[in-house]
Amino acid sequence: MASIARCLRIARPSVVSAFAQSSVRIARPFSVTANNELRKYTREHEWIELSDDKKTGYVGISSYAAKALGDVVFVELPEEGKEVHAGDALGAVESVKSAADINAPVSCKVIASNLTLEESPSTINKVPEDHSASGGWVAKVQVTDQGIADLEKLMDEEAYKEFTAAEDH
Amino acid sequence: MAAVLLRNTTCGIRCLTKGPAFISTTATISSSHGFGLLTKLRRSYGTTISQDLLNKKVQVYQSTSKDPYLNLSIEHHLLQHSHPESYVLFLYINDPCVVIGRNQNPWLEVNLPALQEAEDIKLVRRRSGGGTVFHDHGNVNWSVICPPAVFDRDRHAEMVVRALKDLGVTTAKVNERHDIVIAGDGRGNGQDIFKVSGSAYKLTRLRSLHHGTCLLNSPRLKNIGKFLRSPGEPYIKARGVESVRSPIRNVDVDTEEFTKGVVDEFRAMYEEQCGEDVTVKCVGEEDVKNMDNIRKGMDELTSIPWIYGQTPQFTFSSRPTEDDPRERPPLDLDVQSDFNVQFTLRHGEIQTANVSGLKYEGTAMDGDIYDGMISQTLAKGSEDDSAVKLYEIKDWATVLKSATAGQAFKVSDSSLNSISEWLNKVFPGNHFR
Repeated sequence: MASIARCLRIARPSVVSAFAQSSVRIARPFSVTANNELRKYTREHEWIELSDDKKTGYVGISSYAAKALGDVVFVELPEEGKEVHAGDALGAVESVKSAADINAPVSCKVIASNLTLEESPSTINKVPEDHSASGGWVAKVQVTDQGIADLEKLMDEEAYKEFTAAEDH
Repeated sequence: MAAVLLRNTTCGIRCLTKGPAFISTTATISSSHGFGLLTKLRRSYGTTISQDLLNKKVQVYQSTSKDPYLNLSIEHHLLQHSHPESYVLFLYINDPCVVIGRNQNPWLEVNLPALQEAEDIKLVRRRSGGGTVFHDHGNVNWSVICPPAVFDRDRHAEMVVRALKDLGVTTAKVNERHDIVIAGDGRGNGQDIFKVSGSAYKLTRLRSLHHGTCLLNSPRLKNIGKFLRSPGEPYIKARGVESVRSPIRNVDVDTEEFTKGVVDEFRAMYEEQCGEDVTVKCVGEEDVKNMDNIRKGMDELTSIPWIYGQTPQFTFSSRPTEDDPRERPPLDLDVQSDFNVQFTLRHGEIQTANVSGLKYEGTAMDGDIYDGMISQTLAKGSEDDSAVKLYEIKDWATVLKSATAGQAFKVSDSSLNSISEWLNKVFPGNHFR
């Protein structure tokens, strides 16, 4: 998602600066889950949150990316059973004539896709980091051993918040 | 803010590197006797797209092929394999084709029967987002691949606008849809706004691609509309992306001058960073046909599952529904008054079917039961339990006949023929193998 997150910053500075001001709130809005320490972010603005069993998890795009994307008009969901390595395209979103890859944060196997996004793609704009039934998560995945190792390379919420703040300036 | 600074910087480079001859432009520079002849484009032919080349900081390619599938595959190869920090310009002209966006529906966007009739127009699904466009030899496609850090949706459309202005198209500008538009003829005559260039983007983890069309002197302009109006439109409700119609016009600029203008502007933006003269590498079919990745790309782009099967979920209904309450055009078919045909399709395959109101012969039983049996057969492949693929249907009569094969009932010939004829027109299968 890296490309997109930047493009709107440049193309529509007013929108983004409004967002930048609100970015202080970023540490909080994910309070839908109690396991925030299990949530990690990529530099390309995807998130993954491991379940308590540490074997499965949810994947989605960050609030920062969702804002920058603009209106999402279509989400291409991964097929169940798809196996990917960290960084491989897991799915794609289209907004403002742009097809943008959603990359797998870690090596994993898709066990479910969020079909809500098929009917209502804008959910990804509204609640991108929510993995409840009505949330904007993209896929539920089984994390491989390699995937567990991949997690080490990702940012926690605090680091990601700093990372996006730096991107804005 | 950052945006403003970036724009200023770009402009600075441009002014520094462009010779004074380029700075003053007037509306008269549009003939083939413009400055285009002063400095010819430096080209090298027979280029292999080697990794050495792909690692260069600034790269300019021009395709000598007019095959849209090949050109999009070369472009995709450049997107995937050029150095993450490099700037790439790729120019190409395609044979006549209708190009739909990645997440569009060909049955909704395109007049497939008209395309079939025309015979020489290809149907292409590109990998980038956006809407449907028409290409022919009077249209030049320009494509810029750059690092995400410098990407913005207008940056390279502005580059093309500068090239057009230098060629005398003084009213060219980028609009809020990131398209290039002109007022009137672009040279001060007329006020009506016409689109001359459309944009689409593909963003990957490491790279950003912005490609656009530019209608220079398309001979088919008047006929384009009929290919982009689907007879199935009143019946189809699609997820995914719908096109936005805009009045279009040729900018009336020579192809070679436009090419040179765009290359010059691209150089002005990036050549300094490269520290060497950038030559235009001309690549053709012979140069790339043995490259695995490009062949693979071709195979995918020409495959029926990509062109048709990639279609987002959609419904077809001959009557208004809760989800799609539009009034439908009246039908003149030999059917019962409660006639209705409804399908839900996913990946171009029939998922659910609801057919009712057919006329039957040779039986006194209630037609509703037969309707139900036909619907059931259509919703599930009769032989191997796989779905009926719309894009494999050659003739609806065959499909409807096979849905009743082996049954004790028969749809009346006149009912079956009139429905098939209508479905073949508004909901055709694949005619483009």
